[in-house]
Amino acid sequence: MIKAFLLKANLPALLEAVSRQMEVIAPLAMPGGPVYATWQGEALDLEGRSLSPPTEFLLPHKEVLFHYVQESGRYSFKEEEAPPRLLFFIRPCDLHAIAVLDRVFGRPPSDQAYFRRRRATALVVANCTVPGEECFCASLGSGPEVKDACDLQITDLGDGYLCEAETAAGVLILNAGSGLLGPVLPSHLQEKRRLIEQAGQAMPKMTADRIRESMKKADWEALGRQCLSCGGCTFVCPVCHCFSTLDLGIPDGERQRCRDTCILSGFSRLTGGANPRRTPAQRLQHWYQDKFEDIPQVTGLLGCVGCGRCHLTCPSAMDRTELKVALRLNQDHQNHQNQKHENQNNKNQNLWLSSPAADLPGGREART
Amino acid sequence: MKKVHTTCVYCGCGCGLFLHVEGGRIVGASPSPGHPMSRGSLCIKGWLAGDFAGHPDRLSQPLVRQGERMVPAAWDAALDLTAERLLLIREQFGPQALGVLTSAKGTNEENYLLMKLARAALCTNNVDHVARLCHAPTVAGLGYALGSGAMTGSISSLGQSDAILVVGSNTTEQHPLVATYILRARAKGAGLIVVDPRKTPLAETADLWLAARPGSDVVWINCLLNLIAGQGLIDWQFLEAHTEGYEETLQAARTISAEKVEEICGITAADLAQAASIFGEAERGAIVYAMGVTQHAQGTDIVQALANLALATGNMGREGTGIYPLRGHQNVQGACDMGALPTVFSGYQPVSSSPARSKFEGAWGTVLPEQPGLTALEMLWAAEEGSLKGLIIVGENPALSYPDSSRVVKALKRLQFLAVCDIFPTETAALADVLLPAACFAEKEGTFTSTERRVQRVRKAVEPPGEARAEWQWIADLAGRLGMRWGYSSPADVMAEIASLTPSYGGIGYQRLESLGPAGLQWPCPSGEHQGTPILHVQGFAQGRARLRPVYYLPPPESSDAEYPMTLNTGRSLYHFHTATMTRRTALLDREIPLPFVQVNPEDAKQMGIREGMRVRVETRRGSVVAEARLSPGLARGQLFLPIHFSEAPANALTAQHLDPLSKIAEMKISAARLTKVIS
Repeated sequence: MIKAFLLKANLPALLEAVSRQMEVIAPLAMPGGPVYATWQGEALDLEGRSLSPPTEFLLPHKEVLFHYVQESGRYSFKEEEAPPRLLFFIRPCDLHAIAVLDRVFGRPPSDQAYFRRRRATALVVANCTVPGEECFCASLGSGPEVKDACDLQITDLGDGYLCEAETAAGVLILNAGSGLLGPVLPSHLQEKRRLIEQAGQAMPKMTADRIRESMKKADWEALGRQCLSCGGCTFVCPVCHCFSTLDLGIPDGERQRCRDTCILSGFSRLTGGANPRRTPAQRLQHWYQDKFEDIPQVTGLLGCVGCGRCHLTCPSAMDRTELKVALRLNQDHQNHQNQKHENQNNKNQNLWLSSPAADLPGGREART
Repeated sequence: MKKVHTTCVYCGCGCGLFLHVEGGRIVGASPSPGHPMSRGSLCIKGWLAGDFAGHPDRLSQPLVRQGERMVPAAWDAALDLTAERLLLIREQFGPQALGVLTSAKGTNEENYLLMKLARAALCTNNVDHVARLCHAPTVAGLGYALGSGAMTGSISSLGQSDAILVVGSNTTEQHPLVATYILRARAKGAGLIVVDPRKTPLAETADLWLAARPGSDVVWINCLLNLIAGQGLIDWQFLEAHTEGYEETLQAARTISAEKVEEICGITAADLAQAASIFGEAERGAIVYAMGVTQHAQGTDIVQALANLALATGNMGREGTGIYPLRGHQNVQGACDMGALPTVFSGYQPVSSSPARSKFEGAWGTVLPEQPGLTALEMLWAAEEGSLKGLIIVGENPALSYPDSSRVVKALKRLQFLAVCDIFPTETAALADVLLPAACFAEKEGTFTSTERRVQRVRKAVEPPGEARAEWQWIADLAGRLGMRWGYSSPADVMAEIASLTPSYGGIGYQRLESLGPAGLQWPCPSGEHQGTPILHVQGFAQGRARLRPVYYLPPPESSDAEYPMTLNTGRSLYHFHTATMTRRTALLDREIPLPFVQVNPEDAKQMGIREGMRVRVETRRGSVVAEARLSPGLARGQLFLPIHFSEAPANALTAQHLDPLSKIAEMKISAARLTKVIS
């Protein structure tokens, strides 16, 4: 590995040098947290964690696969190109998600559109030194240190960045900033180890097995009742990758690939209307199963990297990792309410006895 | 790729989001973590908000009618023609023969300019918009009761409630981010009472679900008030210090017996008593409501009844308390605030008030009409009988969204001149003489005002297709042809004028909004130093005292009978928005519910030999539609539910134009209907 030390003050100049040669995607500072977008000199947020995962640059919400033009009854196709770009300052969890996606899309026949973008994208990954409240990468083996192949590894040591190039592309990125870099001292490497270990200790021990236990014990019906079917968990998850294609335009047009979500009923609904995952509860359970059972079977890697984004974006009162519904559905509370009511009724000389509250699961209206 | 921070185009929650733009096209959307209300969440429509903008169906050129055909025209020609026809009508028949329906989907600036065009250029107060179909009773009812027709707290305030009463709102489907806060309050121990004829998803999580019969709300709310009084839970101190009219109101409530509630509403005395103690005992009680309250011939009374309840329990002016009308469109609150209403200028300043009129006359440099104008349905009645000759409709689809569609279409066809502006071809656009292509929310600058009175920026992410233009531009151009000299160079200019004439928006300006980021400003915000107002009525009521008013039950204008033995209710779905022009062009949303359906009680269905998915005909005195049957145990026997989204089975082909005399909203939740199988 080629190593160098970059003072923080010199980072914009390095990025500027690279951006003269290719598009640089970096975490721009925005209210509420960093947002990955094309960098054109804006202030960066290199401390916070992004809600939208940088994997969206490999799997956009919507991309054009090819254009089609019809002339004299024959079609010609023009594929979209993927110009080289640098994805700057992603986290080890997101890098690990990319490793999972590489296996998913790499199984033969491999997905050309994904690898077009993948090959064209240089990855600069920052080791995490300050985990977020929602993070649990360490227990899942996807962080806080870089665990997978990337082009350049960066660690924030306070006054500057320890940069470690792992590939030729990484070396060339560093070279773009020749004159900006200094030598690496043993103390730098020691500090890196110390910070990473500290970060690892600071996270909750949320292992895959613990999550699988929660999945077994979870009251999926109650969770399903909380679910607002927003699909947010699937859109912010860096590992989620399901998609649909759509041809738009007759006779000339384009084939679009769009992100899809198993949270929506239409995803699993069959043409005749039958649906193997008819209720939100079933669809939610399926999503967890996919992450902790199905993807591991297919790829050998967990389908969850412990980034905690699903928890951050979920608009219901669900705890996404403990899978607890923060809803008072337990009998104790019902009894308490009934008792209160009974006392009130007795006070009012009312002969009616309290009746149990809302119907519990049973005759639920079928939801699409 | 660039990410543009803007405000969602769909519902009144007003979530912040980023539109992702690459190569001049929208390629995705994501939530705004820094937004004070939506805080990094979006519903499925929000995640897909950018999807429809690039659809090939987008109107991209002005079109002018030539017989049966609509022919492309240049903007100048289209606007020349429009001005000519409008001026001709005004000359021959007077300004009262003209009307304007503005867009609850347009920006505040566009609504303001359109109402200015109507009043200053066309000299008519015949200005209205779809609030007439949704929260006109709120504007009238809460306007009278509290002095202001808007949500009294912030949406996030609901997260602090101890008890929430949700009436006639399918919150998780229509206002998901409001439901988020209700669910969070619930998680912290708040009591949740849902009153709805259907067992909505929110009702599934409630402590108590009261299946009130449609339109019977005045009865159970009065009885609830009475039970709360009986349990000693009235806040007398609050009533005496801050309100008037409570004695006669409580007196009127006393006349409702438990038997009457059971008979008329179908709610048991025990359930109502439980509701009384849950709501009455709460330190912080909140009332949330939507169309199930307002879309009735007695809508204003029902709103008043809820206001009576909130006031009688002292649930006003504090975090977690208050009354929360949930506005449908992302800018219907703004459209009302901007005075796109027949009786008021911006800021609810009455057109009939001399001081208000002088102020606007001075600012606009013209004489303004004094007589309040016609409301939307009244305009259509005037068109029907021939006294309204010319109409401009912007970003609205009355042919599908207004009640009794065949009557609506007949009225629109009687007009001498109809100009329509929209982003997609609609059933209404098909009737236009001039059709103007608009820029959608992702293609222009402006502001929207959400249901929590939050004024937020909406930003241009991509260029509009073809020659489509932001409405504020062509409205100004049209005004120029009608003799006006406006000279706005940007929407920021327009907002500066709005702020100068509208006290509640006095401190709102583009520079200030930029510096505040996603948070925007909640009105009232009377000056540049004022920080905005999350909670209304904290120090009391601007009008002096809040007003309780006795309300009495009126049976609905149409009841079921031998010929039409069932009751038809109408409403919406999470996946489609109103007449679905945008959502049916968004692949993932269209896939969720691609075809019209009608909800039927399973026992009713069994009796009639109707199975799930069968095509059935729903008929009322106005018309008939065919849709697929959906067996729904959460629906009571004898009731039917049709969504309003589908042009091939338009719910409003079946509804009637029976209006609430106070707010002129139509009874859209109760129509006498019959159900038959379609024999093929």
